[in-house]
Amino acid sequence: MAAMAAALRGLGGRFRWRTPAVAGGVRGAAQGAVAGQWDYDLLVIGGGSGGLACAKEAAQLGRKVAVVDYVEPSPRGTRWGLGGTCVNVGCIPKKLMHQAALLGGLIRDAPHYGWEVAQPVPHDWRKMAEAVQNHVKSLNWGHRVQLHDRKVKYFNVKAGFVDEHTVRGVAKGGKEILLSADHIVIATGGRPRYPAHIEGALEYGITSDDIFWLKESPGKTLVVGASYVALECAGFLTGIGLDTTVMMRSIPLRGFDQQMSSLVTEHMASHGTRFLRGCTPSQVRRLPDGQLQVTWEDHTTGKEGTGTFNTVLWAVGRVPDTRSLNLEKAGVDTSPSTQKILVDSREATSVPHIYAIGDVVEGRPELTPTAVMAGRLLAQRLFGGSSDLMDYDKVPTTVFTPLEYGCVGLSEEEAVARHGQERVEVYHAHYKPLEFTVPGRDASQCYVKMVCLREPPQLVLGLHFLGPNAGEVTQGFALGIKCGASYVQVMQTVGIHPTCSEEVVKLRISKRSGLDPTVTGC
Amino acid sequence: MAQRLLLRRFLVSVISRKPSQGWWPPLTSRALQTPGGLTVTPNPARTIYTTRISLTTFNIQDGPDFQDRVVNSETPVVVDFHAQWCGPCKILGPRLEKMVAKQHGKVVMAKVDIDDHTDLAIEYEVSAVPTVLAMKNGDVVDKFVGIKDEDQLEAFLKKLIG
Repeated sequence: MAAMAAALRGLGGRFRWRTPAVAGGVRGAAQGAVAGQWDYDLLVIGGGSGGLACAKEAAQLGRKVAVVDYVEPSPRGTRWGLGGTCVNVGCIPKKLMHQAALLGGLIRDAPHYGWEVAQPVPHDWRKMAEAVQNHVKSLNWGHRVQLHDRKVKYFNVKAGFVDEHTVRGVAKGGKEILLSADHIVIATGGRPRYPAHIEGALEYGITSDDIFWLKESPGKTLVVGASYVALECAGFLTGIGLDTTVMMRSIPLRGFDQQMSSLVTEHMASHGTRFLRGCTPSQVRRLPDGQLQVTWEDHTTGKEGTGTFNTVLWAVGRVPDTRSLNLEKAGVDTSPSTQKILVDSREATSVPHIYAIGDVVEGRPELTPTAVMAGRLLAQRLFGGSSDLMDYDKVPTTVFTPLEYGCVGLSEEEAVARHGQERVEVYHAHYKPLEFTVPGRDASQCYVKMVCLREPPQLVLGLHFLGPNAGEVTQGFALGIKCGASYVQVMQTVGIHPTCSEEVVKLRISKRSGLDPTVTGC
Repeated sequence: MAQRLLLRRFLVSVISRKPSQGWWPPLTSRALQTPGGLTVTPNPARTIYTTRISLTTFNIQDGPDFQDRVVNSETPVVVDFHAQWCGPCKILGPRLEKMVAKQHGKVVMAKVDIDDHTDLAIEYEVSAVPTVLAMKNGDVVDKFVGIKDEDQLEAFLKKLIG
């Protein structure tokens, strides 16, 4: 079988090699019975969002499934349990700390609404961190129980390919096991990149792998990077009262709509986050008192700058976790530039029975929901007789900066690039959330825009919402856009009042008209 | 049998050098800890009082320990599955310990940290914590999940003792 696969691979790759996987099966094995020549029907490498979803779905379809998960400690020594990036060092702790920061703002608003709260109210990092960490640990346990309940075998081992059907797993103590499977799914995700070329970066800096697990407050922090990781972290650190600086080489939120991205950083800057734009760090040293001294180059002035911080957080990108997988032993191809795994529309790699999903894959969004959905659809295709492919079009997402940014579909620049300026119509509005009025909160960056085709019925190409609860606002509209909503239909939709969400369906002013897009209240 | 159990525990505690977590209730550990971290042998009169509370509660060290002290125990055992990250566990634990101590050795309590002993917890189908099992002659005869007040715990223990 392996020889055949190798020969067919030589025919240049991505054809359809389907192992019959109809229920009742060609192998004649009963549902849930031993997989024949292999230990497992499916082996999933990586117990994160994508991996667990795929494994559980396959097990529900009656297959013999195993998951291997292992967390290599961060350079600082941080480690965590089952569940992957989202659960341990991503979405979950991030959103909880974002909430902690938002509460700070609400506490400041409270007196305006009649609450007799003595200000300023101090924040205790330790208490927040412990609560967040406890919740994450409860999720680790929950995943463990789920795997057991769904009859998925779990091994806490670091996996590497021995050949295309076999994986060697090494446990923490050094004990080795060999696992073979008919189908293998690689879902190892990624880890933060360390700028190794910067002196002191590795020894003295931390990353998002560490920030959520710190027992003590990070204190005065320098966040290096312009990604959503950088801005979200800088956002909640500022919100809980820490002196925070963001150092960016060029533009914020590359890949996102740039007008919206500027508004995001503008809001952060006017609410206490310092920004060092057009700067790159060159060195990090530790001072005798334990603080970190950072030296950087300012590209606009050409001058050198220095600053002292308690913590330096690198948020300069993520790299796929593929190095220790021994992919060459299995013949799985990766992108030469990013080292991410190359797959086709069926999530299949260059080896027909080996698949890859989630952050480790080239050209895919680095999001939990897409990995989960892709994982489930893959299991259904492999073992459930389905032929549904994952659709990566019109995937909504939200950046949880202090003022949240939710979006779905194309950015304005993407729409213009694709269709031309003349064929695109952008409706926009600045609005003021009702809740901001009483406490006199600044709503300058509360803004929404809808990018449409100019030709009737004006298909909606993209929606961009900057404001409170952006995630909650955007989710519903994502459904409409996925269904092919037109601007005409948007206009026919009645708003819910008083909300920020209704501003979307009340959009009437186009950029082209040049009229003032500021909305006045009712 | 209960007396033999008490004597065995007493001897173990006397020669023990490392106070294991939960073995000694906080009150006595303050009295016993020396700066060097060694367990000082307490005076006998005090020991009998303190060891009675602590002898009825112990932490499970591993699978064989569970087999030995819980499954093979002649005395009924309540097993408290708990976790460091579980808030309600921190309330139930001491409360249960206190009620168990009041039963004068008729029942003992084993504490299992589910992160340290995941396989054991999974074997006994623990999903949420705290989960408390009542075990007699190696069988699970009763169980509850979540917090209970002292009266409810009293009833639970009385039912186990029979």
